[in-house]
Amino acid sequence: MIKLLIDRQLPSSESIAARRNFNEILQSLPKKKTINSPWFYGAIGVSSILFLILLNFFV
Amino acid sequence: MSASLLYFDRFGKPEDELAIIERAKRNPEYFAPLYRKYHEAIFRYVIKRVDEEESAYDITSCVFIKALTNLPKYEYRGIPFSSWLFRIAKSELYQSFRDKKARRTVSIDSMQIGKVMEEFQIDESEHKREVLLKVLPLLKESQLQLIEMRFFEKRSFREMGEILALTENNAKVKTFRALIKLKELYSKNNNIKN
Repeated sequence: MIKLLIDRQLPSSESIAARRNFNEILQSLPKKKTINSPWFYGAIGVSSILFLILLNFFV
Repeated sequence: MSASLLYFDRFGKPEDELAIIERAKRNPEYFAPLYRKYHEAIFRYVIKRVDEEESAYDITSCVFIKALTNLPKYEYRGIPFSSWLFRIAKSELYQSFRDKKARRTVSIDSMQIGKVMEEFQIDESEHKREVLLKVLPLLKESQLQLIEMRFFEKRSFREMGEILALTENNAKVKTFRALIKLKELYSKNNNIKN
């Protein structure tokens, strides 16, 4: 059931601004999975492939 | 927050906003000016539709978390960034109603009821006001939403269309139909009372 509120007292701009917290928003963002990052595929991925090639070559 | 981000605090034009969005896609910290700019507007949109202040703050935070998470997918297609945020707010609100975390509320000023009655060309009396308030929740959610945005929030049809993903003309037509429906419900209930 819908509730009707007549002449409701809403918070002031100052009190709304006081509740702003951008750092909290940033902290709540889902963390990027390392395995999906280009860094992983770039640095670790390439070095792993090189390691396997070299391992194959020398052994 | 790094000092270089302060540079992006001063903006006004949509082009500046788009530049901030592009930077924020790479680093969410750059989103701070947009968060500061739109936080209050989104909060006010939310609180008018929920009964508890704390729920409104929680939903507002969820809106910005979702906006930042989906920012890489955002593309400017002529619709203001604020409308994109309001669309997220709308979807977060309905999600919280479904999850029963908040209760659907309509916040109205006495003055605004007078405006609706003016539209109906009915004289303002306590009894008629009561009937109108009684029938308002009987409207379908989509119709209530239009009446709410047009009469209680004084939004333009263009803005309504942008938020509800309708054309300006479609928003106008649908609001007119919602008003006719409200008038029908009012007449029916007013006759019963008389």
